[in-house]
This record gives sequence, structure tokens and C-alpha cells, in this order.
Amino acid sequence: MADTRLPEPFADLEPLAAVWALATETERNQQRLSSTMAQIQAFYDTLLPRMEAVLTYLSTFPPEPPAALPQEARRLLYLALAMAEITTAVELHQQPSVPAGFDPQRFIPDHERTKR
Amino acid sequence: MFSSEVRLFGIREEPYIIGIYLPTGAYLSTQRLPKIIQPQSAPYGAASIVFPTEIEQDSVIFKDNTATRDTMQDRVHTHANGKRWTLDHPELGTGTLPITPYLSAEYFEQERQKIFTRTWISTGKKVEEIPQPGDYLVLDIAVGKTSVLLVRGKDGRVRGFHNVCKHRGNRLAWKDRGACGTGLMCRFHGWTYAADGRLIGVPEEDMFFDFDKRDYGLSPVATDVWEGFIFINLDPDPPETLHQYLGEVVDLLRGYAFDRLPLSWSYTAEQKCNWRILRDSQLEFYHGKALHQQFAGKVMINKQQPSCHVLDAKLFRRHSMMSFYGDRRNTQRTPMELLMAQFGASFKTFPGMRDMDRWPLGVNPTRSRQWFFDIYYIFPNFHLVILSPFLFVAHTMLPETVNRSTWNARGYFPQPTTAAESVTREYNKCLARDVWLEDGSTLENTQRGIESGVLSQYPVQDQELLIRHAHKVAEELLANDGQAG
Repeated sequence: MADTRLPEPFADLEPLAAVWALATETERNQQRLSSTMAQIQAFYDTLLPRMEAVLTYLSTFPPEPPAALPQEARRLLYLALAMAEITTAVELHQQPSVPAGFDPQRFIPDHERTKR
Repeated sequence: MFSSEVRLFGIREEPYIIGIYLPTGAYLSTQRLPKIIQPQSAPYGAASIVFPTEIEQDSVIFKDNTATRDTMQDRVHTHANGKRWTLDHPELGTGTLPITPYLSAEYFEQERQKIFTRTWISTGKKVEEIPQPGDYLVLDIAVGKTSVLLVRGKDGRVRGFHNVCKHRGNRLAWKDRGACGTGLMCRFHGWTYAADGRLIGVPEEDMFFDFDKRDYGLSPVATDVWEGFIFINLDPDPPETLHQYLGEVVDLLRGYAFDRLPLSWSYTAEQKCNWRILRDSQLEFYHGKALHQQFAGKVMINKQQPSCHVLDAKLFRRHSMMSFYGDRRNTQRTPMELLMAQFGASFKTFPGMRDMDRWPLGVNPTRSRQWFFDIYYIFPNFHLVILSPFLFVAHTMLPETVNRSTWNARGYFPQPTTAAESVTREYNKCLARDVWLEDGSTLENTQRGIESGVLSQYPVQDQELLIRHAHKVAEELLANDGQAG
């Protein structure tokens, strides 16, 4: 992934992608849970103004599997999926994890296993 | 929702309205009602009342007679302040429920023998998960002390078998899913079975004595399908078919998009709690305002009925349903929420009420514009939560032991057509997952709480009626040796 870049119109988001453009829900969720709320909020605040453009761009590509996408678009998709992952932290919980929630590491996403 | 027209649905007979209460508290008898319109083709009977001025729909209380005209028994029909659903079912009483069924190993063993191995139980799986002939799934059904093989035959039919080789009893299929092609071979001595359970290959068969392969086919497990959901019954000779067992639920949900919404996410969690704790956690929404305060708190606010969030409740012979009040437009329209709605759909704020009149009778049965979702509980281990025409959730819960259970929570959501819609689906998934993590937080804590011995009984609120009913159903099955009462 290191030699891949975001599509040119989104090149300025590369520092975010370096941290958040992760391929699986499990990885994105772990990144969320290991980040501070300030880091999550910074990610949200930076990407939100660009999110409409990101989604408009992604609207021109087919859906999953991500492997069907060109590498740059795929990286942008992973970044946008991470935005979906952290949105509840910002807009609902105001903290990285679900308050007093069940351990997400014990809430196994079968859909990831089936896809592989 | 202000309107000059108030619509009535779900009335089984021709509505015979004897009067209504207006929001002002004034009572209008039939003679003084402005106008009643009877639609031409309402399946269960319906009516609209047109008022000269706009009124708030939920503030009208209908008094009607939908029982018999002879008795002229007045009863509050819909949206009534003060309505107590439990009182419609005097056989259930209003007393507390015992804690023993949640704790006792002896009680659990009775449930195991007389409920879980005698009745139809959901596997949680759908037929499309084994699409091709020879495709199979393996389910470990601890409560039945067996492993079950679900396999699609050449004829397209899905069959269930005990996953046990009939030679020495070894486990036949070892993977939890696969494709058996021309046959499934036991790793122990190489016995091979066809997808329809026939024994078709025995190495060195001539070395057995008086041996006929037809005597050693796989042991079948009663298997049937409803709306694509695969159910099994460990009773070798079930007294009723799956559709008979499901009863009214089949008609009420017929026509819902079960066949058009693909499995989009699925989570499984082992819980150190009794299966009833798990089951109850998804059987009421009294907890919505507290546990899911951020997600549901504002949606559930109902000025007309601050204490009641139930639009409808139906108890069937085994199963039950509840329909919940909620106005998702009241939730905060956050920036991402608005974007998701723009590029796809979000069940948080958009219930998707278009074409509501054509929905299945059992989805939002009161046809309220302030509809949040419906729970259908298929006794004993399956909950369908219908949140929208474009999203439903299926919970399958299975006991392992008296204090261990497995919870599988699944979301069925439209297949994305673009990469942007993959993002909106992810958003819906993460939202549902986080709500479930809130639900999950209560389970093991509740188990520890009742194990402490502090509680001797459960008080049951009106909106926990389905729990009360489910307890009665289980008690009847245990008393009648697992037979339908």
C-alpha cells in the first residue's frame, strides 16, 4: 500500500490515508479504538469538508470487492470507509468506543471471514 | 404529523366506530363525525376520517367495536393514552416473573429436552448461503448435543443431517462450510455420502458382513425453509410443519423484501449468560431511551404518550410481535448523516415510508407515520427486526449451557451499486454494530447480577409484554412435555 497514492484531486489527504486507509473493518475499528478522541476528531474535521467530493468520485466506480477498483480509488474507498467507522464516535458517542459497550474484539465480524 | 385525514388500518372487520376523542378531550359520537370514507380495496378493512381542520394524528383516540356488534363492547383501539397491552391478555396476568428459569441448571435441562430439541429452531442461515448443489454448511448445535450438516442436493432442495458418519460415529464434515461435489467423504475410513444423505461409497465393502449401504445413510434432521431462512427441528418426527408452526407470521410478513435484501453484515459473540437474558435483551424496547439514548432517545419522544412507545402488539400461539413508536426525523441531522442520505440511505433518520400502503400487513401494522420498527419474535431463538423497507435485522440466539449462549446478529441491506454506496452501507453497519455493542454490554452483567442472588423476581412492564408471553409459552411446553398446548 505504501507505493500507492490517493487519486490526484485528493492528494492532500495523504497524511490521513497513511493512518486510516485500512482494508478491513477490524483494522479500521482497532485504529479507532487505539486513537485519542482528538485524533479521531481531527480526522473527521479534515475529511468532512471533502467527503461530498470523495463520494461523488467513488460514485463512478463499482462497489466491492475493492479488488475490482483501481489501486488509487481503492485507497480512497478505504479512507471513506474509515470515515464511516469513526462517525459514530464523533456524532453519537463523543468518545472513541461505545460507552460501557460490549468488547468489540468479542463481537466477531463473520462477514470479513466469509469474504476472504 | 398534522393532517386533516386520519387513517385507520389493520382492522379485521368493517370498522364500526362509535366515536372518537379529540385532542381537546371532547368526545364525538358517530353521528357527529365529519365524514368517514371506506376505501375500496383494503385487505383487512380500513377507513379514513376527514376532519375540517388539521389535527395531530396521534392525538386522536378511537373508540370502536371490532369484536361483535351485539356486545357493543367499547374499547380503545389505537394510540390511546393509558392503553395497557398486557390487559388485553388476562391469561398472562400482571405478576412478576420468576428468576429460576434464568439460573437453574435443572430448568435449563428441561428446556433443552422439551423445547430446543422438540421444536423448530432457526439456524440463522439463508438458502442463498449454499447456492449450488453440493454446497454445505455445518452448525454445531450444542443445545442438541449434535453437529448438523445443511446441504443442497442436486434437486435444489436443502436438507439437514446429523454430521455423523454412520460407520463409527466420526464427525463427517470438518469445515464449517464447503462444497462436497460428488460426495462427502469421512476422513476416518473413507465412507462417502451423496448430498441427499445416501451412503454411496464404502472402501472394501465386501469385507463387511450382511451389509447393505441403504441401511447406513446419514440420519436426517427435519429441515424446512421460510422466506429463505433455514430452520431445523431435532425432533425426528415433528408434529407440525414449519409453516404450521409459524402460523400467522407467514401471512403478516408475506411480501417483505426478504428475497431482495442480501446479507450485508453478520456478527457472532459468545456470551457468558443464560439464553433468556440474551433473548430478552432484544424482546423489548423499553430500554431504548436509556441504553440507546444517543441513537433513539429523541426519536422516541412522544408528547401525547410520554410513557408508552408501543403502536401495536400481537401475541400468537408461540410467537409475538411489537411495533414501536418513533419519529426518526427528530434525531439530529448530523453532517455525515446528511451525506449518507444523499449518496445512499441511512436507517437512522430515514425510515423510507414511501408506498407504505403497499407494505406487508405485518410491517408497521398500524400504518403510523411515526413508526420506528417492528420486532417479530419467532419462538424460541429468532428475532426479526424490521427497521425499514430497505433494512432488516435477524438475531439468532442459541444456548450452549445454562450460562453460555451464542448470539448471531445480522443485517440485510441493499447491495451497493457503486463504491460510494459501499460507504453508506458501511455507515449503516457501523451504526447497527455500535447499537448492538450497547445491547451486548448488559448481558454478562445481568448474568452476574442475578447470580448474586439479589433478585428473586422480575417485575415486568407493559412494554415488556413479549417477555411475559414468551415465559408463558415456555412454561406450557415444559408442562406438556414439549407438545403444543
